[in-house]
Amino acid sequence: MKLIRIVSFASAVALATAGCGTDQQTLVGLVRDNPLNVAVVTLPEEFVGAASAPFTMRAKPGELLVVYFGYTMCPDLCPTTLADLRSALKRIGSSSDIVDLAFVTVDPLRDTVDRLAPYLSSYVDRFHVIRTTDMVELKHAEEAFLANSSVTTNAAGVIEVTHTALAYIVDDMGTVIDELPFGVGADGFTNDLQILINNINKGE
Amino acid sequence: MRKATLAVTTIAALTLFATSCGSSTSSTDTVAPDTTVVATETTFTVDGAWARTSPMESTVGVVYMNITPSADDALVGASVDMAIAGMTQVHETTTAADGSMGMQEIASIPMTAGTPLALVSGGFHIMLMKLAKPLETGTSIAVTLTFESGATTIVDVPVLTEAP
Repeated sequence: MKLIRIVSFASAVALATAGCGTDQQTLVGLVRDNPLNVAVVTLPEEFVGAASAPFTMRAKPGELLVVYFGYTMCPDLCPTTLADLRSALKRIGSSSDIVDLAFVTVDPLRDTVDRLAPYLSSYVDRFHVIRTTDMVELKHAEEAFLANSSVTTNAAGVIEVTHTALAYIVDDMGTVIDELPFGVGADGFTNDLQILINNINKGE
Repeated sequence: MRKATLAVTTIAALTLFATSCGSSTSSTDTVAPDTTVVATETTFTVDGAWARTSPMESTVGVVYMNITPSADDALVGASVDMAIAGMTQVHETTTAADGSMGMQEIASIPMTAGTPLALVSGGFHIMLMKLAKPLETGTSIAVTLTFESGATTIVDVPVLTEAP
């Protein structure tokens, strides 16, 4: 029996109720009372045919960064999430240009940059390819997101991958301002990204 | 939305007649020599079938659809030609009490007459592994479904970028 465990916090989905006077009440993702800050995380960004460069988990000034932990051999949840994200960016249109994307592979031995870059580009052409083969470094990064993953081989020789299935929206301070669980769909991504883009444009 | 109604005669519904010598050609040992098993047909209505386009760099794919049987049955397997994928499994995605989501091969999915069985992202689905080549939008693949009754049916599944 093949078992692939994919960890998420779907059960923790909650509507934001913080009465801060913004549009947060309508976010479908998880908004923590004490948001995570992931600006302490720096991992290698890899490029095809060029040297890697450090990538810090925060958006550019005045922008947003969506971070997802996944792997290319993921058959169902990862492609669905990437397709939902693609649809959301397309629906939002040019105002989504301030949304940057980072994909952190949890399966770095199989996911080389030569595989990752075109794979991600087949969904959206602006992904930062984040890959480290230092599993301790990856683990520390995941801890900052309260995420986890594992890659093991079962008795039948089948590689089993586990990973958190959330999409994290990070602001330019490195604060995780929204966490979208699997299942919110393109509508959920569109809703939350549009609200957060509007907040930036309003100076909030 | 693609929709196909497929009539399938189950192996178990073969009409058997006892012969004068007392033997039968039953596929089971439980059919009495003088029993006539009336042939029945189970129909499977399939709609919303689609396979997600697979990026060049991936060797896995996924198939979704809704299957409505005319009689109680169970989905026990799925397969495609080896020229498409080297391995095909029926999977289920579940959420554990701690919020984690699991995905595992599943041997049988019960089906109730007249009630659609949904194979959807995040739930039951058909996983294609060891793809021989990418699943390209605009093409289609033949997926053979096998049911507990012994029925099999082939569904022509279009490859799409998004759900239909």
